[in-house]
Amino acid sequence: MRLDADEREFMCSGHAACPGCGAVIALRIFTKAMGENTILVIPASCTGVIVGVYPQSVMRIPVVHAPMPAGASVASGLRAALDMRGDTDTTVVAWAGDGGTFDIGFQALSGAVERNEDFIYVCYDNEAYMNTGIQRSSSTPYGAWTTTTPGQDWKRLRKKNIVEALVAHRIPYVATANIAFPEDLVRKVKKAKSIKGSKFLHIFASCPPGWRIPSEISVKTARMAVQANIFPLYEVEDGVRYTINYKGKQRPVQDYFEVQGRFSHLTAEDFEQIQKMVEEDWGLLQRKAGYQAADACIQSSSAQRAIKTNKVF
Amino acid sequence: MNVAMGQKPFVAITYETTESNKTGSWRFLKPLYQDKQSPCSAGCPAGEDIGMIEMLARQGLFKEAWETILRENPLPGVCGRVCFHPCESVCNRKDFDSPIAVHALERFLADAAVGAALTTKWERLPQKNQRIAVIGAGPAGLSMAWFLSMLGYPCDIFEALPEAGGILRWGIPEYRLPLAVLQSEIARIEQLGVRMRTNNAVVSETFDELRRSYSAVFLGCGHAHGAPLGIAGETPESVKDGLDFLRRARQGERPLCDGFSVVIGGGNTAVDVARTITRFGGNAAILYRRRREDMPAFGDEIAMALEEGVELEELVAPSAIEYHNGRLRLLLRKMKIKGQDKDGRGRIVFDGKKTVKKVIDHVFAATGATAAEPWYSPPLAQRGVMGFSHCVLLLEAGGAPVIYGGDLTNEAKNVAQAIASGKQAAMVLDTYFERGIDEIKSRLEACVVGDGPALSMEAYLGGPRGGRSSHLVQYGEINTDYFQNETRVTQPRLAVEDRSCSFNEIELPITAESALREAGRCFNCGLCDECDNCYVFCPDAAVIRSGNMENRHINYDYCKGCGVCAVECPRYALIMGGEGL
Repeated sequence: MRLDADEREFMCSGHAACPGCGAVIALRIFTKAMGENTILVIPASCTGVIVGVYPQSVMRIPVVHAPMPAGASVASGLRAALDMRGDTDTTVVAWAGDGGTFDIGFQALSGAVERNEDFIYVCYDNEAYMNTGIQRSSSTPYGAWTTTTPGQDWKRLRKKNIVEALVAHRIPYVATANIAFPEDLVRKVKKAKSIKGSKFLHIFASCPPGWRIPSEISVKTARMAVQANIFPLYEVEDGVRYTINYKGKQRPVQDYFEVQGRFSHLTAEDFEQIQKMVEEDWGLLQRKAGYQAADACIQSSSAQRAIKTNKVF
Repeated sequence: MNVAMGQKPFVAITYETTESNKTGSWRFLKPLYQDKQSPCSAGCPAGEDIGMIEMLARQGLFKEAWETILRENPLPGVCGRVCFHPCESVCNRKDFDSPIAVHALERFLADAAVGAALTTKWERLPQKNQRIAVIGAGPAGLSMAWFLSMLGYPCDIFEALPEAGGILRWGIPEYRLPLAVLQSEIARIEQLGVRMRTNNAVVSETFDELRRSYSAVFLGCGHAHGAPLGIAGETPESVKDGLDFLRRARQGERPLCDGFSVVIGGGNTAVDVARTITRFGGNAAILYRRRREDMPAFGDEIAMALEEGVELEELVAPSAIEYHNGRLRLLLRKMKIKGQDKDGRGRIVFDGKKTVKKVIDHVFAATGATAAEPWYSPPLAQRGVMGFSHCVLLLEAGGAPVIYGGDLTNEAKNVAQAIASGKQAAMVLDTYFERGIDEIKSRLEACVVGDGPALSMEAYLGGPRGGRSSHLVQYGEINTDYFQNETRVTQPRLAVEDRSCSFNEIELPITAESALREAGRCFNCGLCDECDNCYVFCPDAAVIRSGNMENRHINYDYCKGCGVCAVECPRYALIMGGEGL
């Protein structure tokens, strides 16, 4: 695929990310879509470690490292400073992990977007505190093993729906994206850049060590999350206008779970349970997007059929 | 905090990049760009580089696509129409939705090239001293002459009939292969300097003369004589030769076929004879000793024949024929299926003593053909005889080498195999002259496409695509996430009422838009089409592209060997190999 993005690289090779790191794939494509007039604010996260181990930097654009709870606050301050200097060309981006967004950074984020601060807040989501050793976060999905939900005490709580939380703030633009769909990601980044006010991008980024997957299927696994409707691609404008962006090849959730070691303990009954949860969420989303209930029914029955025949269609 | 008023606080600022960290040292598997073989290419007897042809066609590079066909096959206009396209039955896309319509695209490219009067300055090897005589201007002889010319040999073709083309000119009706199409292909071969000596039958004395005056002789005079049925009461008048009937029809005659004719046989010739009879206003039935699904004729042709009014009677075998009140009476024995033959078709046995009698006006035999003269057939294995999959080389003192090809040596007798034979014979002869007899086998082996026996002239000439790995790409190796279901192009046809009363070509051309769309469906198995997925997804920004394929490479200083590029390659053009590679 050819991306409608900057030919230049804003990320240098030689960084310390693990092989196949989804966060780095996200960051590389994201910065190519943003172009050079960008400042990144990175609260504590994998990316913080990857990008800025003193005295080196991976990025060819300015990066400000921020404390873990303060990503949105620092971004707000930077925006204000740039405004005072009359710099309207530069876009401020907060780039945080799921821990720095869903949990530790949430109050700053909620406050900043309530003020409709003019920045893009990106949550690259690898569904746990990977950098510190795979501890569960409120983004960790139902069914996952982490070092703090070990053995049979796997996480039996749902993943927080951060997108809906942001939509509830009625900010101009909220969208999900996925490293396996770079063209969609680039389009959303450019759209976010063109809108004034608070923009939130939720980018699904796989983590081979944390998800217990071989590095080479990093992108493929992320793609399966979309195909199984576990991580639907959609965007919400002004908190009300929903658009679903992907309605292509469908898979049963089992396909996605089976390739990952963090779900290896799940049984057929668990998959059935999870399939129901996913279909419930997917049906809800489709209703929000104005699709007929019948449409949701068709989707759901075809997914059921796929589970029975264990076949990708 | 002891920051004095007016002083900036201390901030750690980096001025260095990470490029001094050579993360390539982490790697234990190495991605490598590697072109591989597509099943279609290996399935094509002529070894056409189909994946590349469709890729060029999709990019709108019709001329380059056409030239790529001609590299391996001098008769694309013919093969796009009459070849049984084994490429399509092995196409990996069949497991996804439906195979690529390779034959329709081949025909489109050939017709487009003729329509645009495309010519090309062929890169040919320097002229050699040896002159070659080619006997028989059928598909094998024409291919032999084409490939020999590419290899620098001047050659003369000797043809007994007044025009070149062999079975293509005299055995296939015009509604399947229009004369103009064949003529333009032959003209292109002649443009290479091949001399066409028609009306020049070679008999056994002139053959010896040719062996003295030429450096080698290629014998490719085909199986042009219909085999008799071998039934009681059979005479050349009562049971006519189907091939001869077609030949006379193509000569412009209107051979006798009024009333009701039966055609014995199940191959394309039988179907062609029956359909030609209906076009001349007669009624025809095909009698076949097996069932319809066992017929070697193309399924589509059979279906169209039935639409045109041809009848089909299965499981009957002729046993005797006699004259009866000025007509013919054919005695047929009923057959039945019992078990299965080695080739998967039903094994037939007599159905007790059941017989049928049929009173008809004409009987045509189309049950197979043989060589016209016994000396056409290649000698049995002995000293001085080298056998190959598609040709036989005879070296003996007192005469130039003779190489037998086409139907004379091929197990399967069709156009694509004849082309394969001409190509193989050209390679055998060239290697014999240039490097000696001991090198022939090994040189041919180096040019095999996939598992063989198809050979690649590109590989023989040392072209860039000759360096493909021998790995045949399987469906499971294609990343189908990058492909969407799309319907296969359907070739438009003349309506049944328009076609059954004329010899106009039935299959109509597809549009350029359809051709582009169809070529776009191709997986291009094992071929990099510069889709850039490797570049887009590389987490280490270690895929370097400089505008063209030659310069696309991986920066192993930084590549950590994660393998994402290889998995996300839609076409399996990247592999992960050990560090030693």
